[in-house]
Amino acid sequence: MNAIQIKMREVAGQLLSLGEVDRVIGWEKGRFAHQSPPAFITDETKVERLIWDEYCLTGTAKYLLDDPYRAGKTGLFARGCDARAINRLIQDGQVKRENIVIIGICCTGMSDSVSRQMAAKCCDCTHPTPVVYDLMIGEPVKPVAKPERFKAVAELEQKAAQEKSEYWTRQFAKCIRCYACRNICPACNCRECFADQYRVGWLGKQHHTAENQVFGLTRAYHIADRCIECGECARVCPVGIPLMELNRKLIKDIQQLFGDYHAGVDSETAPPLGRYSLDDMEEFM
Amino acid sequence: MHILAKANLIEAIERLVKEFKVLVPMQYDGVSRFSVWGSHGMQAFNASNTLLPPKDSLFPRTETLYAYQVANQEITGVTVRDQAEHQIIFGIRPCDMQSIHCLDDVFLTKGYADSYYHSKREKLLTVCIGCTKSEPTCFCESMGINPAGHSGADIQMNDLGSGYRVVAQSQSGQEIVEKWKDLLSQGQEEVVAASCTLKVDMNGVPEMLATLFEHSLWQEVSRKCIGCGTCTYLCPTCHCFDMDIQNQGNQGTRFRCWDSCMFSDYSRMAGGHDPRPSKSERLRNRFLHKLQFFSERYGKSLCVGCGRCLIKCPVHVDITLLIDQVRKEAAHV
Repeated sequence: MNAIQIKMREVAGQLLSLGEVDRVIGWEKGRFAHQSPPAFITDETKVERLIWDEYCLTGTAKYLLDDPYRAGKTGLFARGCDARAINRLIQDGQVKRENIVIIGICCTGMSDSVSRQMAAKCCDCTHPTPVVYDLMIGEPVKPVAKPERFKAVAELEQKAAQEKSEYWTRQFAKCIRCYACRNICPACNCRECFADQYRVGWLGKQHHTAENQVFGLTRAYHIADRCIECGECARVCPVGIPLMELNRKLIKDIQQLFGDYHAGVDSETAPPLGRYSLDDMEEFM
Repeated sequence: MHILAKANLIEAIERLVKEFKVLVPMQYDGVSRFSVWGSHGMQAFNASNTLLPPKDSLFPRTETLYAYQVANQEITGVTVRDQAEHQIIFGIRPCDMQSIHCLDDVFLTKGYADSYYHSKREKLLTVCIGCTKSEPTCFCESMGINPAGHSGADIQMNDLGSGYRVVAQSQSGQEIVEKWKDLLSQGQEEVVAASCTLKVDMNGVPEMLATLFEHSLWQEVSRKCIGCGTCTYLCPTCHCFDMDIQNQGNQGTRFRCWDSCMFSDYSRMAGGHDPRPSKSERLRNRFLHKLQFFSERYGKSLCVGCGRCLIKCPVHVDITLLIDQVRKEAAHV
């Protein structure tokens, strides 16, 4: 058994038995070897269910929103991406820091459950070590710049407008409007999504390319300065729409316009589109 | 028995395109689905299930029910859009064939036939290809389906290696086989069928579920569910829809489109009350519909064991694990 997993069970057992938390969220084994779905453990005798392997792909932080008013504290296992997600949720006033015990895990990346290679979302990871934690498991790894993660965006930018339009039209023609991208996303935390307000008329309920594009592009803009680059949207998309290319385009633009900003790296720096500064570029005025 | 050599497969399909819109399993842009013969992509006759189920050929994602025009606040014309084409689904697998039988029960029986579904169903022919290999996520056998073939298809084909055994199972199937007469040879060969490695015991499960409505297992199973519609939209039998209108100036259409019982707004009523306020009630409803309510109403399971939800659920909610758990919990009730 790997050292991280042993430590996870030990820590979870202690936190639960001491009553410091009344549940922990980690991962457990699914039916198949390549499946390690999230696990919710409330009983200290059940910590043996917790596992750590290369298929712990799902983010844990978003689950904090399921029951925002629950009384007890949650012990949350958090890798770099999960920790950034927690910061984002704290910044958006969605969760309270004092209600979570963050058990950081220094992550070396997960594997794609089909190709068994390093998962795409992990190849582009800049913060493998949690940026916020109460306890830490494993050896910290320094943040990595990974400028190559903007390569696909740079290539797309070179294309003519018509080509770009055709590319995204083709991608969103595949969209089945399952909203898995939105529901898994820690930056998507609106009480009611614009996509569900179909009586208002932002978005029709029809499943076709035009409406799919309105959904996909609006969502991308809406999380523009809040995307923590966990890559979960692209991972869960059942039809393989490269959603991170859209998000990265916006991240790249924001970095050019507002300077070096990485969402969720801390919970103090306000997101560029959520603050106002006299120095802001306003060439559109 | 009739054998269609694989070298003659294309010719056999080409003979049908004049009369029918022929849908075949195709892979395009990373997605496999039933697409019109000749469209972009690679044919995927040898692959197992398509990612997207064939249900949209009978029950489109979005379907215009009627169009209307308005002048001086009066409706001046209503056009019912109900133009079904002659279609063939060529290469449907036994699990998906069974899913069409489930949809038939929903849309055509119990005293009301949905005219939009009915007109398409009447003009649909099905050519089923038996499975020679199963995916680790296939469990159709446990759902009472034979991976080798389905008696409800108009034509049943089975891969023999160099060719397909062809058996007409209906009058319309017979007419198609007549068109292929010169392409078919006679022979005797053993049909090899797949066997599912994933097995669940469905015996008594609907009755067990009837005793577990208030059980805590629904809370447990649903905790990781993210409430997306992946399972319902990839499911070959899920058939919930919503209806709405689209107005453009003096004209508009009323359409219906797929909807999902996993969505938070699905069961919300006028006034805001929601009888299924959280994901545990929604997930329970979906599984009970699959495994209990449908069999009580129609005498068959609404899960056909195709395994699509097992493959694509972002957090691996697994109907086969749920069935195992139901057996375990029911033993303790």
